[in-house]
Amino acid sequence: MNNIQRQWDDFHSYVERRDVIFYYVGYFSQTIIAAMADAVKLRVEHAGAVAQTRRKLFSSFIEMAQNIVHYSADSYEKEGHSETSMRHGAVFISLTDERYYLHCANPVNADVAEKLREKLEHLRSLTIDEIKLEYKETLRAETPADSKGAGLGFLTMARDASAPLEFELSPATADDNGSGTSMFYLRATI
Amino acid sequence: MDNLFIAASPSSPEVDFRFDERRLSLKGESYPENAAQFWGDIIAALRSFLAEDSGATAVTVNVALAYFNSSSTKMLFSLFGALNDKAKSGAEVVLNWYHDEDDDTIFEFGQELMEDFPDLVFHDHAVKS
Repeated sequence: MNNIQRQWDDFHSYVERRDVIFYYVGYFSQTIIAAMADAVKLRVEHAGAVAQTRRKLFSSFIEMAQNIVHYSADSYEKEGHSETSMRHGAVFISLTDERYYLHCANPVNADVAEKLREKLEHLRSLTIDEIKLEYKETLRAETPADSKGAGLGFLTMARDASAPLEFELSPATADDNGSGTSMFYLRATI
Repeated sequence: MDNLFIAASPSSPEVDFRFDERRLSLKGESYPENAAQFWGDIIAALRSFLAEDSGATAVTVNVALAYFNSSSTKMLFSLFGALNDKAKSGAEVVLNWYHDEDDDTIFEFGQELMEDFPDLVFHDHAVKS
């Protein structure tokens, strides 16, 4: 067996062992998200997910990817100014025992990290009925000033997931301006 | 008032507002980068049509959106709110709500609209996939 093939085999066997069906790491922009959305649709259809599961996966995937574009602390600065946002993050989808898991990770600043922790701990304390109720209330409320979406993103993911959203924040590392950056990891079970 | 047509893009729906025919249609998927801006412009055009309109025949709104993200959901709620205000003032506004027959999320959002905006004449259309 030649070397190139061996590298592929090693890589594939790792991916298979971890049940990974889709993986991307790099910069996220709207164009990249739209292209990935197509790929994810095809991939989960190929994996045999039923329509309702496919829709929930797609929905949570878009919310996660757009969160990265909006909130990742690592943004790509082109020379000159660009209107479009591009920020760094990672996402992967795994399929274990007929359950789909959506994972995303991106760096966040300390102030964002604290808000995420507060919001997600709160969501984790709610039952599915309470989540649906809060979704309805938020839909009818004014949009929070610090939200680039509508304050509905995590509620949408929590509503579509079959288990509470799981998250971790790494200890903050000091950066140049001393405010600190953490890695934010989120996992949704569909 | 000029009609409003916006062609579909990979992440935004086709918008076909034929104000002259009193027929407004939305079709496709909605997860634009900036939903507030995308839908804000559309809602602004709709509001000016509704403000100057005194037509006696019904306004028909056909919505066949297969997916909308959380920030679009919020904006759609405002759009239907504007239509409901018009209906409340006496105009007939018919909302045809199309969704895949087994898409509970979009069906349920339609039910929310029906509850919150009772002045719209709401027709649910389950489409066979």
